[in-house]
Amino acid sequence: MTSVMHEDGPRGAAGMKRNGNASMRRLIAEGAKGPIGLVAALVVLIVVFSFLNPRFASIENLQNVLFQVSVPLILVVGATLVIQMGSIDLSVEGIMGAAGMAWILLSPNTRTMIDLGMWAWLIALGLGLSLGLMTGVIYAKLKVPSFVVSLGTWYVGLGIAILLYGNNSLPSLTSDALARWPTGLTLGLPHSFWLAAGVLLFGLLISNYTNLGRGLMAIGNNEPIARTSGMPVNVYKIGAFAIAGLLGGLAGILATMQLGSGSTDIGFGQLFVGIPAAVIGGTALGGGEGGMTRSALGVFLLIILNNGLVLAGVDPDYQSGVFGLILLIAIIAVAWPERGRLKVAK
Amino acid sequence: MKPDAPVVLKLTNVSRSFGKIRAVRSVSLEIRKGEVIGLTGENGAGKSTLLKILAGIERPDEGQMEINGKVANFKGPNDALKAGVGVVHQEQSLFTNLTVAENIEHQNINHQGLSRFGIHDWRRINREARKVLEKIGVDLDPRTRVGDLSFVDRQMVEIARAVSVNPDKSGTPLIILDEPTAVLEQAEVEVLEREIRKLREFASVIFVSHRLDEVLRICDRVVVMRHGELTSDRRTEGVTKDELFRAMVDETPAVATRSRAVPSKEGQAAIEVRDLTRHGRFRNVSFAVHPGEIVALVGTNGSGRGAIARALFGAETFDAGTIEVNGKAVSRWTIAKAVRAGLAYVPAERKVEGMIGGYPGTRNIALVHPEHARTGPFLRPRKMAQIAQEWFDRLGVSPNDIHQPLGQFSGGNQQKVVLAKWLNNPELKVLILDHPLRGLDIGVSQAVNREIRKACDKGTAVVLIPDTIEEALEMADEILVLKDGQVSARHDMRSAGELDVREIVSEMV
Amino acid sequence: MTTLTTKLAGPTRRAFGAAAVAAAMIASLGASGAAAQSVEHPEGFNPDEWVIVASVINTTNPYMISNIEGAEAISEALGIPLEIVNSNNSSQTSISSIYAILASGKKPIMFVNTVASSDAPTIVEAVKQAGGYVTIWWNKPDEYKPQNVGDNFVAFQKHTGVDSGRCGAQALAEALSGEGNVILLPGVQDSTTSKTRVAGFKAEIAENYPGITILEERPSNWDPQLGGRNARDLIVKYGDQIDGVWSADDGMQIGAMQSFENAGLLDQVKFASDGLYPKTLEDIISGRGNNAIVGETFHRGYMASAIGLYTAYLAASGQIVPSELEDNKRESFFKLSCVTPANYEQYLQYDAEGAPAEFVSRLIENGPWDTEPVPLVGGGVEVLPES
Repeated sequence: MTSVMHEDGPRGAAGMKRNGNASMRRLIAEGAKGPIGLVAALVVLIVVFSFLNPRFASIENLQNVLFQVSVPLILVVGATLVIQMGSIDLSVEGIMGAAGMAWILLSPNTRTMIDLGMWAWLIALGLGLSLGLMTGVIYAKLKVPSFVVSLGTWYVGLGIAILLYGNNSLPSLTSDALARWPTGLTLGLPHSFWLAAGVLLFGLLISNYTNLGRGLMAIGNNEPIARTSGMPVNVYKIGAFAIAGLLGGLAGILATMQLGSGSTDIGFGQLFVGIPAAVIGGTALGGGEGGMTRSALGVFLLIILNNGLVLAGVDPDYQSGVFGLILLIAIIAVAWPERGRLKVAK
Repeated sequence: MKPDAPVVLKLTNVSRSFGKIRAVRSVSLEIRKGEVIGLTGENGAGKSTLLKILAGIERPDEGQMEINGKVANFKGPNDALKAGVGVVHQEQSLFTNLTVAENIEHQNINHQGLSRFGIHDWRRINREARKVLEKIGVDLDPRTRVGDLSFVDRQMVEIARAVSVNPDKSGTPLIILDEPTAVLEQAEVEVLEREIRKLREFASVIFVSHRLDEVLRICDRVVVMRHGELTSDRRTEGVTKDELFRAMVDETPAVATRSRAVPSKEGQAAIEVRDLTRHGRFRNVSFAVHPGEIVALVGTNGSGRGAIARALFGAETFDAGTIEVNGKAVSRWTIAKAVRAGLAYVPAERKVEGMIGGYPGTRNIALVHPEHARTGPFLRPRKMAQIAQEWFDRLGVSPNDIHQPLGQFSGGNQQKVVLAKWLNNPELKVLILDHPLRGLDIGVSQAVNREIRKACDKGTAVVLIPDTIEEALEMADEILVLKDGQVSARHDMRSAGELDVREIVSEMV
Repeated sequence: MTTLTTKLAGPTRRAFGAAAVAAAMIASLGASGAAAQSVEHPEGFNPDEWVIVASVINTTNPYMISNIEGAEAISEALGIPLEIVNSNNSSQTSISSIYAILASGKKPIMFVNTVASSDAPTIVEAVKQAGGYVTIWWNKPDEYKPQNVGDNFVAFQKHTGVDSGRCGAQALAEALSGEGNVILLPGVQDSTTSKTRVAGFKAEIAENYPGITILEERPSNWDPQLGGRNARDLIVKYGDQIDGVWSADDGMQIGAMQSFENAGLLDQVKFASDGLYPKTLEDIISGRGNNAIVGETFHRGYMASAIGLYTAYLAASGQIVPSELEDNKRESFFKLSCVTPANYEQYLQYDAEGAPAEFVSRLIENGPWDTEPVPLVGGGVEVLPES
């Protein structure tokens, strides 16, 4: 990291404002500067795919990609906070299922006659938050490895979803306004993405501007020192899982809205987008490294790769193999400049 | 410093025991504002316990501690920090992934308006950190990631952090530097010295070091500890290193008693090093050990003797020079290769490196050379037990139970088993012993020494790092004196006349 | 009296969590039905020695839930207790849970919806050891035949995937008047079910509808969301060139329809698929998207489990001797009905309240091979048509 000399000191309001902007710029630059490999890999992919199919670079596909990116983007913010402190959260699929199912059954749908409006959101998000809190408390207070606790939460969440689902028919949204909201455009970009971008901004603020975010980095770097220097380590740990749970709930709601129907498996496969995306972005599983911007770029890499392969018309028989191969090359390109920093997973 | 400067630290009869061991015995000490105190003493003299008491990690059993005129009852490291006691540890305790400013200020972030509602005010954090850095005269950008700094710069950050906690308006910070120079190069030591001169303008400093030159150069006063007691507390002017050293070590009659047949220096050396160098640790070290010979490496703690021993065994790398085992130069030397070549290493950190506490004696003994109790790939538990029992009997391990986890044995008996682990190899060529008698009583020491000599008689070459010079005089055929990583003297005990401890000490310091 | 219990399925946490939930769910199901036994067992058959076992792949998929309903109806009618095995999408879990039930000492009358073809021999062997009788549905290795194994492996039964694919192809091609471009969303690419359905679809198009072009196929793993995502990507790629979408099951079709609706294209595109899920039925009835759904196939999970279990019961009670049956009744294909907006109404009755019990009573009356709407139509090993 290069040192930028910083002029500080007594200044007028204008000077302070400029200074504030400078630190915001620095923040973004810091996030983006690290993963040169990642940005390069993305650019190469975009260029190649555009060449293979001009429609890849169309506005329509941009909207499509942004739409598809939004759910994993929301998840990766929570995952990154948790991984930065050296833990792991496997519960997303369960939390998404529970929150998504709770939300749709309390919103206008074909199954129940209930429409709680805003309360449906609060209850579903509260469900996600509680599951996250539960994981965090068991992990931090009872010292059970997060891998195991969150695995349990996964199934608790899934169990709640199955209970809510019962043996009835699939609930689908009857409110057109809700069903169309995720694809609706504002300033040319889908609402799904705006929501995800808001969450990403929230994640950046947490990670860079709060005691919690900085504390999580400190815990990931050296937990014993964090403890002896009086940090509320347990509070931070619980906080990280609570945020991850809350965002898992939000992702579950958004995914349900995008599909237009409820499903206990609404989170299916998301775990293996979020965590790899964070790690590809340089968030070491050992903790203490990485950042929101990088993780977000990791999500884009995975989604664009998949989208590009479909548009390029790669034969389905080869798609998995080609996907894996390109991903490996991209990961090597990303990891090469910082091979020293990636730690062993735990 | 003025003689009437206010007293920053006052210890009155402070003691701390761990079981039967009295680590700190009735220590009384006064430090005034602006004073730089050197604290020195051998390993185990009680320095680190005393530091832990000052840092709030340990609590004294007896005695009273006053800081800036107030009685201090630390319940944890935080209390010590708040009182203005900052410790810069040898192994650094920084968050390498955070910025300089965060590391300096993280104790303060919840106070002094550096964050509101849990949200950082980066501008103020950086400004406060910059103030502290200016105060201690260090030119670092507070926004740099600590992981990107050099070692000495990180030390400066640690000092800044220690200084950043202001006791109260009138109080004076007490900065404790725990062996800060141990891993520094010469140029870096100079940076640190400048820094200490800067610190004394507003703080008091305790400087812990084994390097007596540095202590005499940097400090106003020097305090020596031995067996938990202060044995010397004097101003540095006019003090000689020799005087200090005698305050550090036990006063014992210097007699060289030898009790073995003299091995020959002829023929092929079992192990020979030439110009062995590791930057910052040791330089141009050359010596040869022949079968049956014992060569002792003596020196102070930072003299490089331990690093040389580990380099011989492939446990540490070296930058230049050669190691020859049985006349063949080694390349890409590793522990695995060393073991295969017939080398053995009894580490000073017995509990950490020498044994597996949860394993019984049988399995510990079979760790390095399981081939003696193996058929094909399969271990033979009965054979293992039989071998272990032989060693337990021969060395008189007590309790004589080969199935009890080794961690439950006393230190001396553990050491016997560690030794047995290596001696259980008829092909043993070179035995490297790092403080083999540390923490052992006379009886066990004699048993261990007897086994070492027996191994020599069978043709094993021994490299010995003794606890005391007397031990070297008793055991060794040749003594190499090391000072600051270089050989400062050699004594061939077969030809040397009278040699006493004092002479060797003068070569060490 | 019907007893409903669920074994904790296997050692994994997943099994534990989901099985506990399934237990609660099934318990609530059981509370509704309290009908009496309606069958006279033949001489020498002591129902107390037997247990009915239905092994399903999971308990969340509507088809699997329907499987369970059929097993419950049969259990009630025969007065033999029921155990459900939830495989949680894992062959391992499936087999270990079945072993656990077999160890209980009662002889099983078993229906297994296999997770993978290769599970069949292991399960059959275990049932044979326990002296039970088993019918396997949907998946088994082609060369592994009941005729060669013995009476304990009563039968292998399925609806053919080829017929399903042909159904969809006909409906879609007719709706497009034989001209247009379609995209395909197969399920898990290497699953037999998906492969046979895709092959049937392609064969039908190749043989009878030269004007239909298959633009692309994107396997979507039976996952509604993946179906939706792939549909979005294909919409970007082909835009309004797409005239029709065929999905290997209704789940993926639900995702795909949502994507076309979001893109504003639902009114111009026709859909066909397999399964006639309740949601699909709703969309047909409501005429969603300018009558977007043009073709479906009809079969129900409760029919499969009821037929399978009843066949096994007949063998267990000695009313049939499997080795004396003709081959079609050992490796059987049951009828699959093609549903269109024109004829869907005649299938509504099979989703009405109490339909499984009604089906079971007709099944007991007509035997396993002659019950509408799913009579036996053929047998052997399903041959993929050339396309």
